[in-house]
Amino acid sequence: MLPESTQEKIRAYLQSKLPQAKDLTLTQFTQTAGGWSHEIYTFSAHWREDDQEVTRGLCLRKDPGVGLLRNLSDLKEQYRVLQALGPTPVPTPQAYWYEEGPTLLGGPFFVMEKVEGEVPNPWSRVGKQYYAEAAKRDKLPRSFVEALATLHNLDWRVAGLDFLGVPDAGADFARREVAKWESLIQQSLRKPEPVLTEVLMWLRANAPATRRLAFVHGAYRTGNLIIKDDAIAAIIDWELQVIGDPMYDVAYVLSDLNREGSPLLSCVVEREFFLDYYQQLTGLSVDLDVCRYYEILYMMRSTAFWLSASGLFAEGKNKDLRLARTAYSVPVVLDMAAKALGF
Amino acid sequence: MPSAHYFLDEIIASLRNVIAPAIPDPYPKAQAYMAAVILEFVSRQVEERRDLAVEKERALDALFRDLSAVLDGKELPELPDVEQEARLCRLIEWLYAEKDRLGPEVFTAANRRIREALRKLLDEELKVAGKTE
Repeated sequence: MLPESTQEKIRAYLQSKLPQAKDLTLTQFTQTAGGWSHEIYTFSAHWREDDQEVTRGLCLRKDPGVGLLRNLSDLKEQYRVLQALGPTPVPTPQAYWYEEGPTLLGGPFFVMEKVEGEVPNPWSRVGKQYYAEAAKRDKLPRSFVEALATLHNLDWRVAGLDFLGVPDAGADFARREVAKWESLIQQSLRKPEPVLTEVLMWLRANAPATRRLAFVHGAYRTGNLIIKDDAIAAIIDWELQVIGDPMYDVAYVLSDLNREGSPLLSCVVEREFFLDYYQQLTGLSVDLDVCRYYEILYMMRSTAFWLSASGLFAEGKNKDLRLARTAYSVPVVLDMAAKALGF
Repeated sequence: MPSAHYFLDEIIASLRNVIAPAIPDPYPKAQAYMAAVILEFVSRQVEERRDLAVEKERALDALFRDLSAVLDGKELPELPDVEQEARLCRLIEWLYAEKDRLGPEVFTAANRRIREALRKLLDEELKVAGKTE
């Protein structure tokens, strides 16, 4: 929870952005996540305007300075992505204001719409049950595929998303992703990891060509989707997005990493239905060999995350014990990669 | 993987400095402090599993011994005089860099032998990190 003095700072900040708002107050301050990547606070703003009472749900996302992705996370880029997606059919929260300077809250932050709905945790028993029951009603699995197809069908140049960087033809996208996560590993590695070296060398040597570039979320799964009335109300957690191969998102949906024992992809959708409906909506044919490559890339990326998290703890930059625990996840995810590579 | 003592020390510090002070109810507060005290004793009892390190060393010794034969007369790279796992990392990088020169048969044979050793290293680490069934 933010101290009251900080809440007052935020209120004054919002007042400066909403000069027409009279008697502006903030209520229901809640911290929804923290420590891993960003600090996220939700609250309600109430004011009078033209003799009308206005209430708006808001969400503040703040850079903690020592997040999981270290220098690879860029809050301003996330804000620009949300701004660019605002006028498109992709369901996202509306971005309102971005602040670069540390004066107000000690670091950059931005304010966006708080989208109504829920985000059940797919790793929890309750969350798994929620998604399994929703899957039986059929509407949510459809919405899950439709939102992904909307993303991949987006004309990202028209939307102004090419500032994210556009890979060259061929295998450039896959090589860029490998290099990006390798750089996080280099920042975090505290001892030699020969299994990881073998995985990295294999990824470098076998990078597939991208057939069509699309706007890719990079972590499209339940848990990163706000759900209301069995439909995707918003895609959230815009931190890993790139212009790249749409198979990268498809592989993430197909991956065992995101279903932990559930027979359903991302705990919510049947594999055959996902593949058929996705191909129908996008006109793309899913290349399972390419997806297999990206699944192994995701295992390397997960290893990079856990090395970074446990490294932040070991370096004394973040004393959250959840980060320390991830040191034990490194061999487990490397074991998955080794098995996928046949050893 | 960090040592058991390292983790125990960090958990003790968290119990003492973060968890216990934040608990208002006297009974669970006392329990948290007591857990820290007991973990200090446990930390003195715990010994690192040297057997895992020994098995890893054995697997790496065997790999480096076998490699000359596997490489079929092709010269081994000069590997830095560092710990075995760091040397293995350099060897893997060298193998992929020299793949074309070595030819598919030698590359595949050497890669298979290296992966065999990697599997043994992973199996040792999973004795600690793997899920207990």
